[in-house]
Amino acid sequence: MYARIIYNDIARNTVVTTITMLFIAAAALLVALAAVLIINLSGAMETLMREAQTPHFMQMHAGPIDPAGIDSFAQQQPDVLEYQILEFLNIESAQIVIGSNSLASNVQDNGFSVQSEHFDYLLDLDNQIITVSDGQVYVPLCYLKDQTAAIGDELVVKGMSFTVAGFLRDSQMNSNLSSSKRFLISANDYEKLQEFGEIEYLIEFRLHDLSRLSAFESAYIEAGLEANGPTITYPLFKMINALSDGFMIAVILLVSLLIVAIAFMCIRFTLLAKIEDDYREIGIMKAIGLQLNDIKKIYLMSYALIAVTGSLLGLALSYVFKGLLLENIRLFMGESDNTALAPLLSLLGVLLIGAAVMIYVYRILHRFRSISAVEAIRYGGSQKRPHLHSRLSLNQNNLVPVNVFLGIKDVLSRKSLYATMLAVLIIAACIIIFPQNLYNTISSKDFISYMGVGSYDLRFDIQQTDSIPEKASLIAQALSADPEVTASAVYTTKVYTLITDEGSREQITVELGDHSVFPISYAQGSGVSSEDEIALSSINARELGTQVGDTLTLLLNGSPRVLTVSGIYSDITNGGKTAKASFSDPSARTMWAVISAALDDPSLAEEKTRGYAELFGYAKVSGVDAYIDQTFGSTIESVRKAAGAAAAVALAVSVLVTLLFMKMLIARDRYPIAVMKALGFTSADIRVQYISRSVFVLLIGVVLGTVAANTLGEVLAGKVIAAFGAASFSFTIDPFTAYLISPLMMAAAVLAATGIGVSRAGHITMIDHIKE
Amino acid sequence: MHTHIITGKDIVKVYGEHQEKRNVLDGVSVKIAQGEFVSVMGPSGSGKSTLMYALSAMDRIDSGTIHFDGRDVSNLSENEFAHMSRNEMGFVFQQPTLLKNLNILDNIILPSLRDNRKQLPKITSQARELMKKLGIADLERRNITQVSGGQLQRAGICRALMCSPKIIFGDEPTGALNSRTAQEIMDIFTAIHAEGTTIMLVTHDAKVAAQSERVLFLCDGKIVSEISFPRENGMNLEQRMQLVSRRMQEIEI
Repeated sequence: MYARIIYNDIARNTVVTTITMLFIAAAALLVALAAVLIINLSGAMETLMREAQTPHFMQMHAGPIDPAGIDSFAQQQPDVLEYQILEFLNIESAQIVIGSNSLASNVQDNGFSVQSEHFDYLLDLDNQIITVSDGQVYVPLCYLKDQTAAIGDELVVKGMSFTVAGFLRDSQMNSNLSSSKRFLISANDYEKLQEFGEIEYLIEFRLHDLSRLSAFESAYIEAGLEANGPTITYPLFKMINALSDGFMIAVILLVSLLIVAIAFMCIRFTLLAKIEDDYREIGIMKAIGLQLNDIKKIYLMSYALIAVTGSLLGLALSYVFKGLLLENIRLFMGESDNTALAPLLSLLGVLLIGAAVMIYVYRILHRFRSISAVEAIRYGGSQKRPHLHSRLSLNQNNLVPVNVFLGIKDVLSRKSLYATMLAVLIIAACIIIFPQNLYNTISSKDFISYMGVGSYDLRFDIQQTDSIPEKASLIAQALSADPEVTASAVYTTKVYTLITDEGSREQITVELGDHSVFPISYAQGSGVSSEDEIALSSINARELGTQVGDTLTLLLNGSPRVLTVSGIYSDITNGGKTAKASFSDPSARTMWAVISAALDDPSLAEEKTRGYAELFGYAKVSGVDAYIDQTFGSTIESVRKAAGAAAAVALAVSVLVTLLFMKMLIARDRYPIAVMKALGFTSADIRVQYISRSVFVLLIGVVLGTVAANTLGEVLAGKVIAAFGAASFSFTIDPFTAYLISPLMMAAAVLAATGIGVSRAGHITMIDHIKE
Repeated sequence: MHTHIITGKDIVKVYGEHQEKRNVLDGVSVKIAQGEFVSVMGPSGSGKSTLMYALSAMDRIDSGTIHFDGRDVSNLSENEFAHMSRNEMGFVFQQPTLLKNLNILDNIILPSLRDNRKQLPKITSQARELMKKLGIADLERRNITQVSGGQLQRAGICRALMCSPKIIFGDEPTGALNSRTAQEIMDIFTAIHAEGTTIMLVTHDAKVAAQSERVLFLCDGKIVSEISFPRENGMNLEQRMQLVSRRMQEIEI
């Protein structure tokens, strides 16, 4: 008997049932995919890092090196399992040409290495250690992905020619987030190439016990060994490897959450309508003392059928799509070991979706309890009054046309019904506007204030070369002789050892120079005004637990120097850990230097950039726009793409939900529509009424969504960006897109969907409804 | 000499498809005079409601012609019907078809406001007058779930009267009411008729039919009998009722 009732239920609402089921299927699909991705990502990453034997601790170092010192340190450290010093030959990207593609515009630091002897191996696409012959080169995978290189291509660097023999997996530098890329060549070729580049050393350690890592890190710093460059540890390698695919997983999970919410909306709507229809029967059953569980069971079973079908469909589809999404992981990390777990976790995820649906249905069915048997039998329906806004009376309405008035009135008297549509529209507006604001903010010129640099027009970067201070002063001289340059300043960055209150030692990079020439804005305090002061980036200040006015002790040339913290500023460059001071210290080695200059006429920046670039080949000269572009170009570009994709998804969801909502609304309102038509209202009148409802909800949704995106969104983005080192954050809003284009796009989408959704509203035949 | 407000000729209305096709109206011809009060009676499924909706042009017919006030309305477009029903006809249904989210006054003025929003004060005061006349003056701000069935039906009649219709169609307007309330509603119809409005009611209640001027009896889609109660014939309500009931029994046998 149940089967028959369930079949009838489903047959009566085919469209809504199908759509509900499809939403459940989509949610199940996404959750299953996320599960497969999580298992494969973690598994493949483990495998890659195990096969490659990724170092546990790596210190990059530019400049002279003392291998004997490192060797004796390694011998004395009981934690060290093995160590090695690798060379990374930095080659200017413009000198590398693969086939017909030059790497000149490439933002990566490209360099050449030979295969490691002990660990940190470069692997082929079968995760085997590559043996490379003379004349061959193995190219980082990212150049296969972006189609810069193919097997058999000729790679030319400084007149030397290599054949691309294959591609390599680099457990350290695979990710696009890692700024360096290693090309693998033979030892003989490396020897020949050496004179054309700058050698950077990778001082690598593997430990007996990874949990001893932080102790080992402190020991390395305390030993005062080579440290002119970043330090990277095993957990960081892992994070960098996981981040881009991890981000995809997070997005998929988020979208599936949104879809589950929409599915819930469909279920709530149809179920409430059904309860209304069956009100009398339920009431009678209650009155004659029957078990409500029986009728509850029927409802539950229809939805169980929908949930199970949807979940199974989603699970099946996940097998079709998983290959597509796994492509990237397979390419960059290879196969995973524990794939057997993946179907299990997928199934678990899908079960979770199904269970969530059933729990939701069960909760809605709680309403049965509140059904009054007396009302049900006497009136055939709930006598709960709709809330009438006495001030909103037709007999006092002089302003709006009757149909528009009826639309608005209906929304106001059935708020809970429209709440779901409103919620979806608010979320959609947020999803459209928030990434756009983010994009505008990070692509705006003002964003430089988050990078701990003042406002300038030209910037010279000198790094990875010898005699940096001398080269910097040459540029400074040229700039002071240039009549079009109004101001310039040299900033040199050096690494110092900092002695904390507990007596332990840490490294801190300090930018030295006259910071008053290009002042930055300080979140707290002010810039350094004497040689005894230091300003800290907000992450440094947070990690060191210092406030403005506290003191820090730095080791200058072996002797301690106490500096007072004068201010705290936002900086999201260099991992957000920077400091500024103005003392002079010729003894410490300069890691890099930056010369900033302001121009009389900023529009000359491009021309000046070209001129100076020719004059000083060792410096990277850039205008402020180009600098932002090179530093954040790829981030800005991915945010732009993400914003576009988010807008498309949000618009699609708005269209779908509006369409569905209008269809359900009209199905539910058949009787009042029939009454209206009998009273002389035309189909066009009815459509105007429904469009008015939609427009009314749309207006509220867009306004609230825009406000939320611009306020809550700002707080949220501020929190995220604070993690990267910004002390304070405010959106740069483009009023044209945020307040005009986005709302218009949403309005157009929602109106089109409403138009389609209500197109058949007038086809309801009054006779069938009026005749009893 | 009566002028006819409605003239229906050879009306056929078919329901169902293929083998289940059935002529619910099987060549009915009927004339209703200006200012006349006509009732239609008949057993369940005889086609009496269908006849009323066909004559009001609310429902399409399959063949035949219908003229309303001299115009052919057999095949009106939706908009033409809507315009006519708003301005020249009033409908009263068995269940009070009022909208839940409007109060009583708003329900009454709704159809009139559609075309004449500018005349809101005039329309509102007309509605208040009608409500007073029908004894529901103090209910104007009430929600429709806060009043009785009889009061709702009065509100429905007020709504039908708002456009000063040429004819009022009533589909079992007392069918859902107790006998005392039903008689109160019939008194209202009689009063409206006395002021010159044409009325056509569908009913299965002999007492209701007996209060009209002419009763049409429908069976299997055909008018099979007719009784007229001219004003001068002098029968009282009881006698008229007995006559109508007897005729009904004859038809049903």
